[in-house]
Amino acid sequence: MTFLSARDLTVSYPGPRRFLSRGPLSQVLKGVSLSLARGERVGLVGVSGSGKSTLLRCLLALEQVQGGQILCEGRPVEPGSVSALRWYRRLVQYVPQDPIASLEPRMTVAQLVTEPLLRLRVDCTPARRAEEALDSVGLDHRFLMRRPDELSGGQAQRVAIARAIATRPAFLLTDEPVSGLDMTVRAQVVQVLRDLSEAHGTGIVMVSHDISVVAALCHRALVMEAGRIVEDRPMADLLRDPQHPHTRDLLNAAPPMTAAA
Amino acid sequence: MHHLDRLIPALSRGVTLLAVMLLVGLLPWISGRDPAASILRARMGDQNPTPETLAAIREQLGLASGPWEHLTQWLGGLLRCDLGTSWISGTPVLPGIIQALGVSLTLMAAAFGVALLIAVLLCWPTMHRGLRGRDTRSSGAMAATLTAMPEFMLSALFLVVFAIWFGWFPPYGWQGPQHIVLPALALGLPGGGLLGRLLTNAIAATFHERWIATWAVAGFTRGEIARAVLRRSLPALMPQIGMIIVAMTGGAIAVEQVFSIPGLGRAVLGAASAQDLPALQAGILILLLNALMIGVVANLIRLALLGRALHMGALPVPQVHAVHASRRAWLVPCTVLLILLVLVAAGLPRDPFTSQFIRLQAPGLEAPLGADGLGRDVLARVAHGAVSTIGMALIVTLVSLVIGLGMGLMPRLALGPTEVTKATPPTIAALIVVAAMGPSATGAMIAVCAVAWAPLAAHTAALVSEVRAQPHVWLAPVLGVGPLRLIPRSILPAVFWPVLRHAMLRLPGNALALAALGFLGLGPRPPSSEWGLILADALPYVERAPLAVLTPVAALALMSVLGVSLASLARR
Repeated sequence: MTFLSARDLTVSYPGPRRFLSRGPLSQVLKGVSLSLARGERVGLVGVSGSGKSTLLRCLLALEQVQGGQILCEGRPVEPGSVSALRWYRRLVQYVPQDPIASLEPRMTVAQLVTEPLLRLRVDCTPARRAEEALDSVGLDHRFLMRRPDELSGGQAQRVAIARAIATRPAFLLTDEPVSGLDMTVRAQVVQVLRDLSEAHGTGIVMVSHDISVVAALCHRALVMEAGRIVEDRPMADLLRDPQHPHTRDLLNAAPPMTAAA
Repeated sequence: MHHLDRLIPALSRGVTLLAVMLLVGLLPWISGRDPAASILRARMGDQNPTPETLAAIREQLGLASGPWEHLTQWLGGLLRCDLGTSWISGTPVLPGIIQALGVSLTLMAAAFGVALLIAVLLCWPTMHRGLRGRDTRSSGAMAATLTAMPEFMLSALFLVVFAIWFGWFPPYGWQGPQHIVLPALALGLPGGGLLGRLLTNAIAATFHERWIATWAVAGFTRGEIARAVLRRSLPALMPQIGMIIVAMTGGAIAVEQVFSIPGLGRAVLGAASAQDLPALQAGILILLLNALMIGVVANLIRLALLGRALHMGALPVPQVHAVHASRRAWLVPCTVLLILLVLVAAGLPRDPFTSQFIRLQAPGLEAPLGADGLGRDVLARVAHGAVSTIGMALIVTLVSLVIGLGMGLMPRLALGPTEVTKATPPTIAALIVVAAMGPSATGAMIAVCAVAWAPLAAHTAALVSEVRAQPHVWLAPVLGVGPLRLIPRSILPAVFWPVLRHAMLRLPGNALALAALGFLGLGPRPPSSEWGLILADALPYVERAPLAVLTPVAALALMSVLGVSLASLARR
C-alpha cells in the first residue's frame, strides 16, 4: 500500500544573474515520480548534482515545486506554515547529513530531542519519550545535558536519529546519514537504522552517493541521474544486473562492502 | 507569492523615497513653527507680532492654506524646477542654491583630488613591493589615523596652525586659489586616508591571487600587471568610494562653516539657524540628490570596470589571509584610553559652568589648561564634555544596535531605508531633525541614530544569511519550528554578539559625529560642555587662547585614534 507518493515533480532554479536580466533556468528535477510503501527501505543513489537532495527537500515540504504533486496517505503535501504541516511532520521525519551542524549548538541533547515533540504537539510525556528515543539509539541518560560540541560525530548522528524517531514517524528521510562518519561508526549507525526499522516498521529513504551503504540497508534502489530516476528496482536485482550505464558506473565506483553488509 | 517577493525590494525603495520627500516637503508643518512669525522676526527684528501683521504675511506668501495643499504646491513646484521663495529675502531660492552648489562642488572636487593623491601615496609602497614579488602587507597606522580625524577638527587645527600661526594661507573667504588649499586639505585628508587604506588592503589581497604569478611568468610588464591589479581591486571598492564622497558632502558643511566659504553647506546651515524653511528644504533636497547621484555613478563605474567578468561568473575568489594579532596591537588603544581616563579623572571634580577665572586666563596652577572666553575652566569643560559626549554616543550606539538588528533581520524590506541612509551623512540628517524640532542634544542623538544603524543592519543581514544556510536552521521547519520562533532560538543568539562588538567599535565614531553636530550648532545648546560645542565656543579666541582650542582638538584626536585602533584590532 502506498504511503507517500510523488508525481511528475519538476524543480528549477534561476541560473547566474546577467546584467539587467535573469539567467536561464536550470532544471534540477525533470519530472520525477515515485511511490513508497509503509515499512519499505529505499535507497536513492546518484552522483552529486543528480537532484537527489532536492528530491528529498521536496519530500520534506521544504522546497516549492514548479510542477507535480506529493501525496501522503492521499493528502497533498506542500510547503506551508508549521500548523498546516504538523500532521505530516509527525509522520515523516528527517536525519541530516552533517550531524553536528544540524544540531542547534546552544541546546542540550535533552532540549534537542524534546523540541519536535513540543513543537509538533505530539501526545506524550516529552521527557520520557526523549529518553526512550535516546535509549533506542544506544545513548543513556548521561548524554541528556551535553551540548553538540561535546559529542563525537557518531554520537551526534545518534542524537539526530533519536530526535527524528521521537515523534514515532512512519517514514525517515535520511540524507547521506553516514557519509561524514568513519568506517566503524558507519556500520553502527546503519545497524541502528536497520534495528529501528525492523522493530517499529519504520520506512526509510536513504540518499547516498555510495551504493555500498545503501546495499547494506535497503530493499529497493532508485538511481538518479541529471534530474531523472533512471532505474527503480529491488536492491538484489540491481546489484546482480545493473541495466542503466550510469548504475554500472556507480557500482564500479563503490568501495568494497563494509562490515555492515 | 513569488511575485510579491520580487516586488518587495522595489516597493521598499519607492516607499522610502516617498517618505523622504514627504518628510522634507512637510518640514514647515512638522516643525510646528509659525512661518509667518519666522518671517516677521527676520524682516522686522523684534517687533511684536500682531495677529493682523501675521495674517497679512501669510496671505502674501500663500501660506494660509493647510499642509497638504502646500505640500502639493511644493511638489508641483519641484516638477517645474521651482524650489520656492525664501521666507527671509523674499526671492526665489533656486539661483542662490545653484551658485552655492557650484562653490561646494569645486571644493569637493579639490578635496577629492587631495584624497586621491593621499590614497596613491599610501598604497604606493604596497604596489611597489607587490610588483617586485615581495610579500605585500597592508599596513598603515598613518592612514588609520588620518581616516579618523573628523573634518571639522582638522579645519579648526589647520586654521590655527597654517592660517593664524604661520599665516601661509588666508583664514577665510573664497576669492582665489589660495583660499581653496586649507579647506580642500581638511576635507580630503580623512577620505584620502580611508581610501588609501581600503585600496592598500585590496591591492595586497589581489597580489595574493594566483594569476599574478601566471602573468609574471608569461612576461607581462610591471606596468601592465599594475594596471590589471588596479582594475581587479577597484570594483569591489566602488561602493565604499561612493560612500566616502557622500561623507565628504557632509564634511563639506563643517569645512565651509569654519572657513566661511559661501557653499551649499553654509547656506543650508544659515537657513537652518534663520528658520528659513524653503531655503532649508531646497538645500537638503539638493544635498540628498547629490549623494544619491554619487552612489549611482559609483555603481555604474563598478559595473563598467567589471565588464564581462560580472556575468560570466569569472571573478577569482578572494583569499582570506589571517593576520596574527600581536600583543603590541593593544598598546595604542590602551594608552589612548588611559590618557582619556586621566583627563576625565583630573577634570571631573572641577566646575565646568561657573565663570570663576578671568576671560581667556593663561594656564597656571589654578586652571591647568587655562580658561575659555567666559572664564570657565577648560580642563573641567573638556572632562565633563568627555562624559556627556561619550554618554550620548553610548545611547546612540545601543539604539542603533537595536534598529540595526531589527532591520538586518528583514534585509529585503529594509533595502530602501538602508540605501537612503547610506546616502545621508549625519550632518544632513541632523539638518532635517533640527528643522523639525530645533537644535538639542536629543535631536543630535536622533540624527546620528538615524544613520548609524545602517552598517549594523548590513552586518546583521550578512550574518543572518550565513546562519540561515546552516543545516540546523534550514531543517528547523521539519521539527515544527516556525520562522518567528527561529529568531530567538537560533538567529539572534548567533548574530547578537558579533553585531554588539561591531556596534561598540563604532562608539568613538558616533561620539565624533555628535561632536561635529555640536560644533555646527545642530546639537546640545550652550552652556552644555559637549566637545564640539567647546571647540566652536573657543574658535573665535583662537589667537589669544590656543589651548582652549587645542585641548578639545586633542581629545577628539585621541577619540579618533581609539576608534581606529580598536576597529583594526577587530579585523584581525
